[in-house]
Amino acid sequence: MRWLGNRGTLWLGALMVIVLALPLVVSDPFAIDIFIRVLLFSFIGVAWNLMGGYAKQLSLGHAAYFGLGAYTSTILQIRFGVSPWIGMPAGGVVAMLASLPIGALCFRLRGPYFAIATIATAQVLMLLFLKFRDFAWGAEGTTLPNLGNAPLMMQFDAKAAYYYIALALLALGLAITYRIERSRMGFYLVAVGEDEDAAEAIGVDALQIKRNIYLVSAFLTALSGTFYVQYIYFIDPNTAFSFNISVEAALVSIVGGIGTLWGPVVGTVLLEATSALLQSWLGGSGGIQLTIYSLILIAVILWRPSGLLGAVTDIYKRIVDPDPAPVEVANRDG
Amino acid sequence: MLATVAQAVINGLLIGGIYALVSIGVTLIFGVVKIVNFAQGEFVMIGMYISFFLATRFGIDPLASLVVSMPALFVIGVALQHFLIRRVLALGDMPQIFLTFALSLLLLNVALLLFTANYRTVQTPYAEAAIHIGPLYVSVAKLIAFAVAMAVSFALWVFLHTTDLGKAMRAAAQNREVAMLMGINPERVFCVAVGVALALAGAAGSLLMPFYPAYPMVGQVFVLMAFVAVVLGTLGNVTGALIASLMMGVAESLGIQFVGADSGLIVVFLMLLVTLALRPSGLFGGWAR
Repeated sequence: MRWLGNRGTLWLGALMVIVLALPLVVSDPFAIDIFIRVLLFSFIGVAWNLMGGYAKQLSLGHAAYFGLGAYTSTILQIRFGVSPWIGMPAGGVVAMLASLPIGALCFRLRGPYFAIATIATAQVLMLLFLKFRDFAWGAEGTTLPNLGNAPLMMQFDAKAAYYYIALALLALGLAITYRIERSRMGFYLVAVGEDEDAAEAIGVDALQIKRNIYLVSAFLTALSGTFYVQYIYFIDPNTAFSFNISVEAALVSIVGGIGTLWGPVVGTVLLEATSALLQSWLGGSGGIQLTIYSLILIAVILWRPSGLLGAVTDIYKRIVDPDPAPVEVANRDG
Repeated sequence: MLATVAQAVINGLLIGGIYALVSIGVTLIFGVVKIVNFAQGEFVMIGMYISFFLATRFGIDPLASLVVSMPALFVIGVALQHFLIRRVLALGDMPQIFLTFALSLLLLNVALLLFTANYRTVQTPYAEAAIHIGPLYVSVAKLIAFAVAMAVSFALWVFLHTTDLGKAMRAAAQNREVAMLMGINPERVFCVAVGVALALAGAAGSLLMPFYPAYPMVGQVFVLMAFVAVVLGTLGNVTGALIASLMMGVAESLGIQFVGADSGLIVVFLMLLVTLALRPSGLFGGWAR
C-alpha cells in the first residue's frame, strides 16, 4: 500500500469501513444486488488477473473453473447432502485438478493459440455437462432446494449475508494477490509475462510458474462458481460454463489494468456502475449493455492500453496527494 | 451403413466449404497482419444481413447479392485496418486480441439492437431442390454455395500467387522486415489483406443465406469452427485452413450422425485438443504458404 502514501492508508481504511457498513445503510434489494455483482465479478477478475495479468497468459476459458466449482458444490449438495461450505473448497480442488491436464495441453501454446485453446476447453466441458443427463441434469439444469434461512447450507433470507460472503471472497483474492505480488513467485510471474524466453534463459522454470499460478487462479475462480449458484439458486451448463463469464473476467481486468492488484476491482466498479445506470435510464433492452461495454473496451485499448487504474491513481495523486512521494509500482503493468 | 457414411461426408464437405471461406479470412489476417480477428464471424453475420435486406427489399437473389456484400465488406475491412487495427499493431498480443474481441461484441450487440434476435430467412426457388444419386441426396443450395466457395478460394490462391500485390502479401506474411526492405508498403498490404479477408466473410454470409437463418449470434458458430480450422491448419497457412475446414465439416457431420445431434462440436473440439497435444503447430506446420 506504500504507493498510496500515508494518507492513502487512511483512505483505504475509510473505504473498508464504507464497504463493511454499506448493506447496513442501503436496504434497496436492487442496489444490494448490484453491489454483490460488483464484488463477485471483481473477485473473478482478481482470480483471472493472476493468470492473465501477471503471467500474461490470456485465458478466455475461465468459465471452465467457474462451472466446475458450481457443479461440484451443487452435485455434492443435492446428491450427497454435503453443505456448500464444504462443496466450495471441494469445487476449488476439482478445478485445480482439472487445470493440470488443461494447462499441460494449453501451455504448449502462446498468445492467440493459447486463447483459442482455452475457449475450446471451456466449450468441451459445457458440451459434456449437456450430455450428463442422469448425473448432472443435462441441458435443463436444476434449481437448488430452497431451505429458507439455512446458514449452514449457505442459504440466507437476508441479501446482506451474500454481500459479506462475496466481500470475504474478494478480500481473500486480493490478499493472495498481494502476497504473491511481493513474493519470489511474483517476480518470476512478471518475468514470464514480460518475455517467456528471456525468463527461461535466466533460469526461471516458466512452465512450472505458469502451472502453479494456474492452480491458484482455477481454485479461486471455482469458489466464485459455487457462490454464484448459491446466490441465484439455479444451475445449467449454459449458465455455469457461459462464455460471458470468461469474457467478463478478462474484460474487467483489462479495463481496470492487468497485472495490478486493484485493476480488476476498478474495472468492475466502472463497468457495473455504467451498466446499472444504463439499465435505469434505458431499461434492460437486449444488447445495449454489451454495446456500451465494448465501446468502453475499445476506447480503453486505444487510449489507455495499460488500463484505467493508472488514470485513477494519476487523478488521485493530483487531487489528494500532491507531494511527490517515490513511486515504485506505477509502471508495473508496463 | 455405407450410404449413411457417404451422406454424412457429403453434407460435411458442403458446409466445410463455407467454414473454409471464414477460416481462410482469419488465417490470411493472421498471416499478414499477425492479428487474430475474433470478429470474423460478425462479418459473416453482416454479409448475411446485407443479402437478407437486398432479397426482401429489392427481390435480389442472395447468390446475386455476392456482388454487393463482397465489395461492401472489402471497404469495411480496409477501414477496420486503417482506423483500428493499425493503432494496436505495436502493442502486443493482449490489446490486439481484445480489440477484435471488443469489436465482435460491439457488432453482435448493435445487430441485436437494430434487428432483434429473430431468425430471418429468405425463400428461394431452389431452397428445397436436391439432386439424387442412388441413395444419396445433395441439396442444390448447399452445392452451389460449396462450388462458389471453392471458386472464390481458388481465385484467392491465383491472386496470391500471380499478382504483384498478392506476392507482396505473401512476402509480408513470411517476413515483414525484409518485405519492407524490398519496397513493399506494409500499410497498403495490410489494408488489402484485411479487406480481402472480410470480403471472404461477406461471401460466406451471402452463400449461407439461401439455407441458413440470419440472426445476430450466427457468427459465433462459424468463428469457433474457423478458429479450430486455422489452428489445425497452422495459423497463417491458407491451404492448411482450406483442407482443415473441409476435414472439420466432415468430422462435425460424422459426429452428428453417429454420436448424437448435439455432438458435432464435441468431436470438432476434441480433434483440436488432440491435435494440439500431438502437434502444437498444427497439421501443416512445415508447409509453404
